[in-house]
Amino acid sequence: MIATVPVVQTRDLVKRYETGGETVVALDHIDFSVAAGEFVSIVGPSGSGKTTLLNMLGLLDGPTEGEIRLEGEDVTDLSSRERTAARKRTIGFVFQHFFLLPTLTAVENVEVPRLFDDDPETTARAERLLERVGLGDRLRHKPSELSGGQKQRVAIARSLINEPRLLLADEPTGNLDRETGKQILEEFARIKREDDVAIVAVTHDPLVNEYTDRTVELVDGVTS
Amino acid sequence: MFEWFDRRFPTQLVARRNLSRTKVRSALACLGIVIGVIAIASLGMFGAALRTQATQNLGEIGNQVVISPDRSEGVESLTGRDVRTIERAADGQTVLPVKSNVSTITVGRQQSRVQLYGMERPAQTYAARVGTIPDPLRSGALVGSSLAEDLDIGVGSTIEVDGNTYRVRAVLEEGDAFNPVSPDSAVILPERAIPESGYDNVIVVAETGEAANATAQAVRDSLNDREPRVTVFELSSITDQISQFFTVLNQFLIGIGSISLLVAGVSILNVMLMSTVERREEIGVMRAVGYQKRQILKIMLAEAILLGVVGGIAGALISLGAGMIIHQVLLDNALLAFRPEVLVYLPVALGFGVATSAISGLYPAWKAANERPVEALRN
Repeated sequence: MIATVPVVQTRDLVKRYETGGETVVALDHIDFSVAAGEFVSIVGPSGSGKTTLLNMLGLLDGPTEGEIRLEGEDVTDLSSRERTAARKRTIGFVFQHFFLLPTLTAVENVEVPRLFDDDPETTARAERLLERVGLGDRLRHKPSELSGGQKQRVAIARSLINEPRLLLADEPTGNLDRETGKQILEEFARIKREDDVAIVAVTHDPLVNEYTDRTVELVDGVTS
Repeated sequence: MFEWFDRRFPTQLVARRNLSRTKVRSALACLGIVIGVIAIASLGMFGAALRTQATQNLGEIGNQVVISPDRSEGVESLTGRDVRTIERAADGQTVLPVKSNVSTITVGRQQSRVQLYGMERPAQTYAARVGTIPDPLRSGALVGSSLAEDLDIGVGSTIEVDGNTYRVRAVLEEGDAFNPVSPDSAVILPERAIPESGYDNVIVVAETGEAANATAQAVRDSLNDREPRVTVFELSSITDQISQFFTVLNQFLIGIGSISLLVAGVSILNVMLMSTVERREEIGVMRAVGYQKRQILKIMLAEAILLGVVGGIAGALISLGAGMIIHQVLLDNALLAFRPEVLVYLPVALGFGVATSAISGLYPAWKAANERPVEALRN
């Protein structure tokens, strides 16, 4: 096996917040990495810093100290514009509350990240992705006409439209019943296998850990 | 039907869908712009109609200059030399010296004291309603319209003035209200019929208003050089004043109209701010999946502008109807609303409407674009 560069890697990552004159250490020297084709879950009590870590990995927020590398490239000090571009190029997001645009159809929602790219192939690709997550018969439905599981599948298809190397999921099963949650996790497992994508999921749900390759536990900003 | 358009301009697709999400609210914000645009456009068109009405009443007198002796300086009449000086100053424009007198005329058995003008070439400045004006006028008389009516004079009638009889050659058109040499109640005779030696007025008929202006200035320069000798009356100065008045009136009316547009702008600002708050998470997601701030700004701004364009076009169409009604009422001709100087208020008002919307959308759009996605997505 060839030694590959991790898709995302942090070194000595520290995040401190100032709240009301007090300094809160959300992340305390975190070393974390995920390889392509690996499904990692981050678990821990609320306030443990797991969402903060996910935001760092997703380049939505910058660290106070330390370093983040995305596919080997140092992205710690990128400008807001460069980070946005890097997100678009490399990272897909799936959220607990799905966050679909209620005015757009399933296909249009999947197209959203590429709406401004003027690429005639986008629609066909969006339709293929929806077929792949089992929504081939719901292409023109609005989110209000879909069930929770179906919405999350649309969100997964959306996260894949830019062919990301890293998929970040924040409580992806949090709003779903157990059976639907299983189906979604199977979807993740399949994507990991077929697309060789690195997946990081932040979760409370012990069910998630049945599908992951590795579980990282965060307590008070420290991995254990 | 929008599919091609949506593909080309995804911003407006998202904007349109977002506006349709809160239909009533969007429609009300739009209505504000409609009212504002109608206010500006129809008040502007109203001003233009008033101006037209006023200038119609004044007639086309802007190209005449009337020179009179300055009686306050003791000058009672203009001499032949004055006339020659004026002719030189007028530089090729038509110069008509006028003698005047008041005398009794006899028509049949009726007698009346009337204003007499003696002119060599009245055809240069007056038009005949009935009959023709000989150019030059060597014999016969011309009668003003109201005098002709009062004394029942027609072409071919004979009138007697100071013991001489004249055949009426023409009845004149009504003159301009402001003209100091107004023919309406006067009789115009050949110059030699008036015994006085000097002239009471000299009319200069210029090609254009500007030429009239230049002539007036040149006459002042040459005749009033050493001491004031003549008063120079430019009819164009009156039309200028009237025109200035209507320009100010129009600006005032449009100013009033703008207030309603300002109110519309505030309502768009409000609607857009509500929308950014409600859609905070969506905007956060868009930022997360790789939308640059600039693109969010574009989408939000497109929503505001779309409200302005839709409202503005509706307002402009309604204003066109209003303009036709205004022109029908004031000028008895609805089609006069289609003159370019009237129609120009439609794009102006539309432009104001769209600009107001864009400016009102700017702050909410900026706010939405600069929201940190981490904050927006916090559960």
